[in-house]
Amino acid sequence: MSYAAILRPIARPGLGERLIDALLSGRGIWPAVPAIIVLTVVAVIPFVILLSLGFSDIVVSRGEIASQTFSLDHLRNALTDPLYWTTFQRSLTLALSTTALCLVFGYPVAYLFLVGGRWTKRLILVLTIAPLLTSGIVRTYAWLVILGGRGVVNSTLMGLGMIDQPIRIMNTHWAVLIGMVQIHLPVMILPLIAVMSRHDSRLVEASENLGASRLGTLRTVILPLSVPGIGTGAALVFTLSYTTFVVPQLLGGGNYLNAATMIYEQVVYSLEWSKGSVSSLILMVTCLIVLVAIALATNHFTRWTRGRDA
Amino acid sequence: MMQGRPGPATKIATAAPVLRIGAVSKYFGTFKVLEDCSLEVAEGEIVTLLGPSGCGKTTLLRAIAGFWEADGGTIEIDGQEMARVPVNHRPVGVVFQSYALFPHLTVERNVGYALRMRGLPRAESEARVAAALETVSLTGFENRYPAQLSGGQQQRVAMARVLVMEPRVLLLDEPFNALDAKLRGTMQVELRQLIKRLGLTSIFVTHDQEEALTMSDRIAVMRAGRIEQVAPPDEIFDRPATAYVADFIGTSNFWAARAEAGAVRLPDGQSAVTTLTGDVRLMARPHNLRLEVGDAGPWRGRVAFHRSIGPLVEYHVDMADGATIKVAAMRQSIDRPVADGAPVSIRIVDPALCAVYPH
Amino acid sequence: MRRIRHLPLSDALGLGLIFAVAVFSLVLLVAPSLIVVMISFDTRAYVSFPPEGFTLRWYAEVFEQGELVDAMLNSLQVGLTVTLLCIVLGVPTALACVRGRFRGTTALSVFVLVPHMVPGIVLGVAVLFAGALVGVTPSIWLQSISITVFILAVMVRTVQSRLMRLDTALDEAAANLRATPFQSLRTVTLPLLMPAILAGAVFTFVEGFDNLSVAIFTHGFHDRPLPVELLALVQYTSSPLVAAVSGVQIILAIAALVAVSMSIGLDNVNE
Repeated sequence: MSYAAILRPIARPGLGERLIDALLSGRGIWPAVPAIIVLTVVAVIPFVILLSLGFSDIVVSRGEIASQTFSLDHLRNALTDPLYWTTFQRSLTLALSTTALCLVFGYPVAYLFLVGGRWTKRLILVLTIAPLLTSGIVRTYAWLVILGGRGVVNSTLMGLGMIDQPIRIMNTHWAVLIGMVQIHLPVMILPLIAVMSRHDSRLVEASENLGASRLGTLRTVILPLSVPGIGTGAALVFTLSYTTFVVPQLLGGGNYLNAATMIYEQVVYSLEWSKGSVSSLILMVTCLIVLVAIALATNHFTRWTRGRDA
Repeated sequence: MMQGRPGPATKIATAAPVLRIGAVSKYFGTFKVLEDCSLEVAEGEIVTLLGPSGCGKTTLLRAIAGFWEADGGTIEIDGQEMARVPVNHRPVGVVFQSYALFPHLTVERNVGYALRMRGLPRAESEARVAAALETVSLTGFENRYPAQLSGGQQQRVAMARVLVMEPRVLLLDEPFNALDAKLRGTMQVELRQLIKRLGLTSIFVTHDQEEALTMSDRIAVMRAGRIEQVAPPDEIFDRPATAYVADFIGTSNFWAARAEAGAVRLPDGQSAVTTLTGDVRLMARPHNLRLEVGDAGPWRGRVAFHRSIGPLVEYHVDMADGATIKVAAMRQSIDRPVADGAPVSIRIVDPALCAVYPH
Repeated sequence: MRRIRHLPLSDALGLGLIFAVAVFSLVLLVAPSLIVVMISFDTRAYVSFPPEGFTLRWYAEVFEQGELVDAMLNSLQVGLTVTLLCIVLGVPTALACVRGRFRGTTALSVFVLVPHMVPGIVLGVAVLFAGALVGVTPSIWLQSISITVFILAVMVRTVQSRLMRLDTALDEAAANLRATPFQSLRTVTLPLLMPAILAGAVFTFVEGFDNLSVAIFTHGFHDRPLPVELLALVQYTSSPLVAAVSGVQIILAIAALVAVSMSIGLDNVNE
């Protein structure tokens, strides 16, 4: 075939295809426009409305807002209500201890992933990804079975003759904490694994060649380099455990209020939408403050990454 | 070409070798990566492991460093068997390919790492770091992070980092790979001079023959997990022990011949001495051949192609028997090179420098 | 994997402790699910450990309960809708973020991330209130679009990180070989992005199917999704029926895991 034959103009593409070409070749923002519209309508505007509701007096009738007037009362009431303070304090303590414990139990798994062979790595991946594919309720239900009156723990202890009567674990702070840690553990492990698999294995070898022991290498090389993963994992676990209501609702019993269950009650049962808005806003702001703190701490320990700009 | 290379007398060390590798083997599954490798390295000597990728040179280096265990054989440093010595207690310093500098530590803390791991007092540690940085001319870079350094500077930090722990054996794993071609030449000479000045016993791994010729006191040419020949660079080049070594290092011409009664007849009528009999392969370097215009000689052909490489002109000559022979000639400013297509005959300059290998 | 036998005592003890904790955590990850599966075969009508006997009665009952089956179908519909919307909205957005040559590509990536950073219940409450204000009542469609907005960032990020690792020379080569931008997208970029899109699809589907935090405020009154139904069931039922529902979910999760590892490999799921 001659060059001329190859270079002969091809039939013009149809209008639709030419339109797509035009959108793509400009390298413009066009492909993102549908997503931007949807996000604006379904997220940005609702947030603005939520904010406005927090600063209003409203009357709800038949699931719709009947009247709305500006007022700071709800915010003031919330900030002076001891129930709010104890609830948010409880949620915060719970979420922070969950995050810390997830790190304590998750980091060794990530380290095992780093030093383990192919099958160890595979097993760890399966065991961490599989729970994320089942629902949080199913995983929480498992703890009902384990910690309940006739559950695994009590049956075992009674079988061993260590106790006569079932001890009460369910509906306590401890049950909620145990459930929280176990349910959020994969969310901590995965970012740790991701950051560790990006390490150059020669760094570990270099460290050992320079006289460091295994623990020395872990402390001086692996740990500092995995700080970004710790930051990501901590941020994810904190957000999820601070705002979940499945675990407190199921393992804490009806009386265990955390911020999320409180919001649910205000919005769904007592239809106090202004209160609900204020609670949501406080939840969001406090969550944001902790996330910023985590980000700042992460940044502090990863100053070296910014060397690249200089 | 090389200043400071010890004369032949110092190459054969009378003292006990610093590093002795005895019959080391290594398998990955059933695949033999190293087979019966033996090598002795004398005090202050630079030995290069040279070979194509996959020949086992890096495997051998990693076995010496202790990153993995050999499946057989011994590795001794100063007469002490290393098999039971863990990585972090071996008197061995490794300069890694792409350096493996700790990205989260400053130059100073990278260099002082080994000393901190050994729990040296701070004052002494600082003094030794400063001295090491001065040795590699990096004073003033203490507080930079690796990412803020050029490739050459990073390499010098990697050197300083192992120098502070005063290793008995220095291992360098293709340390010039990450550098661009121009910097590479300067760094090679600089690094050789530094190592020689410090008198460090070194093993250097590369696949680049020019680098090996520049850096080494002796070269160990490796092939498929075996060491084919260990000898000083000139000897490797002039008297390659096997056809493989001859082919791997420099350009070479091969052709078949027959050896009888301790001699082999060369195609241009001369003869070369050999201990072999029967079918053999002959090898001659392009610079050992001379091109004569016209078909006066008995070994005739036609110039197929020629190219000028700096001061040399390389001719590819199609011989009457179908082989192509490469001939190198000094570039003469007065004559024009022999034109392509011209009939020529080839003569061997020094028959003694032709190598004879079994077929 | 490597020599343990030469380790000094401090290393051996420290590593021993670390590995012991790691093994404990791994057991902790899997044990509860195993216990639930055991319970689901119990013959008694209440949850007790250790289980007695073996019956598939609870599994049969799951599919006989109209509300549960409806809830599963609803969740399936939401999951598929969310996945589809995330692909349609997310992949072009990722392309714009990475390949775009306009000011604000970074701002765009951050903007997409924001709804995901906001707690799910806050988003749910906000959508519910905003809907009430303009007269949109909760429904399966409001739930689907809300979860889409919540989870879109996961799809965008997965595709984005894969896209950033793609050689831009591939597109240039396609253009040089006379492919139009659309042809190049269809024949070069999209096939190479497929693993990332699939991984994103698995996770967006699971989110659509299992999400509770957004769904509880936005689901339709008569179209209750599975998580909402389950939450009520767990609180007010004491039979192993819930264990059987869990068993079904675990089986589906294993199937998804196998599908993922056969199609794109587990290593690629985590970024």
